Amino acid sequence: MNIAQQIVNGLVLGSGYACVALGWTILLGVARLVNFAHGQLYMLGAFVTWYAMTKAGLPYPLAILASIIALGILGALMQTAMMRLVMTQNLTSLMIVTLGFGYVLQGGSALIFGGNPQTLPGTLARAKVDLGSLWFTWQDVLVFVATLLLYGAVWLFTQKTRFGSVIRAVAEDPKLAELFGINAKLVYLFVFIFECAAVALGAALVAPRSPILTSMGFNEVIMTFVVVVLGGIGSISGALVAGLGLGLFIAFFGAFVAQAYTTAAAFALLLILLVIRPAGLATK
Amino acid sequence: MSAIEQNHASSAPILRTAIFVALAAIGFFLPKLLGGTSVAYSTLTTIAIFAVMCYGIDIVLSYLGEVSLGHTLFWAIGGYTAANLSVKYGLNGWSTALATIALCIVAAGFLGAVTLRTREFVFSLVTYAAAVVGYEIAFNWDAIGGSDGIVGISALKLPLGIATFSGATQEDLWPVALTLLLLTLIFIARFRRSKLGTAALMVQMNPALAASLGIDPRKIRLAVFVLSAPITGLAGWLYAYQRAYVGPDMFETYFLVLMLTAVVLIGRRILIGPLIGTAILIAQQNLFSLGGDWNKIVLGSVLALVLIFWPAGLAGLFPQLRQK
Repeated sequence: MNIAQQIVNGLVLGSGYACVALGWTILLGVARLVNFAHGQLYMLGAFVTWYAMTKAGLPYPLAILASIIALGILGALMQTAMMRLVMTQNLTSLMIVTLGFGYVLQGGSALIFGGNPQTLPGTLARAKVDLGSLWFTWQDVLVFVATLLLYGAVWLFTQKTRFGSVIRAVAEDPKLAELFGINAKLVYLFVFIFECAAVALGAALVAPRSPILTSMGFNEVIMTFVVVVLGGIGSISGALVAGLGLGLFIAFFGAFVAQAYTTAAAFALLLILLVIRPAGLATK
Repeated sequence: MSAIEQNHASSAPILRTAIFVALAAIGFFLPKLLGGTSVAYSTLTTIAIFAVMCYGIDIVLSYLGEVSLGHTLFWAIGGYTAANLSVKYGLNGWSTALATIALCIVAAGFLGAVTLRTREFVFSLVTYAAAVVGYEIAFNWDAIGGSDGIVGISALKLPLGIATFSGATQEDLWPVALTLLLLTLIFIARFRRSKLGTAALMVQMNPALAASLGIDPRKIRLAVFVLSAPITGLAGWLYAYQRAYVGPDMFETYFLVLMLTAVVLIGRRILIGPLIGTAILIAQQNLFSLGGDWNKIVLGSVLALVLIFWPAGLAGLFPQLRQK
């Protein structure tokens, strides 16, 4: 029975990983950009939700919306500041600049929200579902369903709509796309706002499971990296499968080997994959 | 920017050596000139150690043009090696330094080899993840210190033939830190003119030309990365003796952001750039500190804004300085 429970735990963990990684997947996959402030944005998304609920007294759905809007605006500001680097595809500088922004967010959040660990109030996270000997919470169900819906919607949007092909054209060659009358800056702005809004949503959904700290961003983001690389750099369906697979792996590793070294185990998995398939699992 | 910079003084090696010796002598007496207080000694020692730390990431970022986000790992390897070997086995400074160099080369060689065939941002991602994992291991593994770290590292002992140097106080450690800094500067200067250094620059500036000359950019990346690790490692090694304590806080993002900021602040590919950058940043934090969280905002903003508005660094604002 423990095995069945670990499978449930793995799906719960994995849908969380996939949910938080969605923004990065889109950013990397369709715009070929990276964002090393992702972990701090996750932290901020969680704290804005927490603040909206505990200090402003908003109900959970409105708090999620507030978090999405706040991070969307922040994303627009960050992207506007970085626009020249983005247009010249200066990935080296972008990596460092986003890392710098992340550090600013960490310092700023500590000033605003304080240095103490907080817990997101949520009735769903404490509402247990018992199925025989299996158990999970309604929050877990919410994350799982929301993740599947989000991935489905994003997949449809990028693959089946005209706007999806516009984004991919810009990723391929921003200068050329502009010649064809596409406003590449606007497309990049949109994609980056989406990345920030998506991580806010992910944080609002996933963060109620565990205490949140303003310093958690640096470590939290590693699972996103593993998901994105395992899934094959920017593949949407690949990221979903990789997220769930990683969740199962972590659940079993944590239960049967060592809970303290789950990040190390995920990293080892990443390294093995990089040696066997340097471009990721889902490469054609 | 595009040309490989030539050091003007390189045509006159004697003059260069003389200038270097003079600067080293001034450097030696600098804490005395600044009042000789223990604060002066400890601040300058810290600047020297942190500058050496920055030079490790500098040769990857400036000459190879790639971003290592994992140099805190080497920094911590140095600290943990010094702490563990000196506290548990009573080894002297030479042995712990050699062990640091060896371990850093092994770790960097491993990470470099694994990422040999991946794209540049995957390299950054893996190095970043390596530092996070290093933190997790250091935090959880009690045998090497665990979450409490190792307290009470004895003074640095360096047997020199008949006499033994002992660095018990900040005043004693200053000559060691300065020597390490000067050796690092000599090493970087030599690297800039070496085959590997010029090949790395060529890979960064003109990959097509490098390929046509039969240079494999992946091998160059591996070599530069492996070379850079012990530099940051040795800085961590001395930091452990200076602080007499190591703990998982050596993996703090602070050190990574400081390294990158010190390099880009003055400008990449400038020999003394990271040293000046470190001095400015440490002076801000020690003398004009705004409190921990505000210092984070300052450091992160400087890093982001310099790259956005002055990609060539402060030196780019004064073009004549680049000729030096």
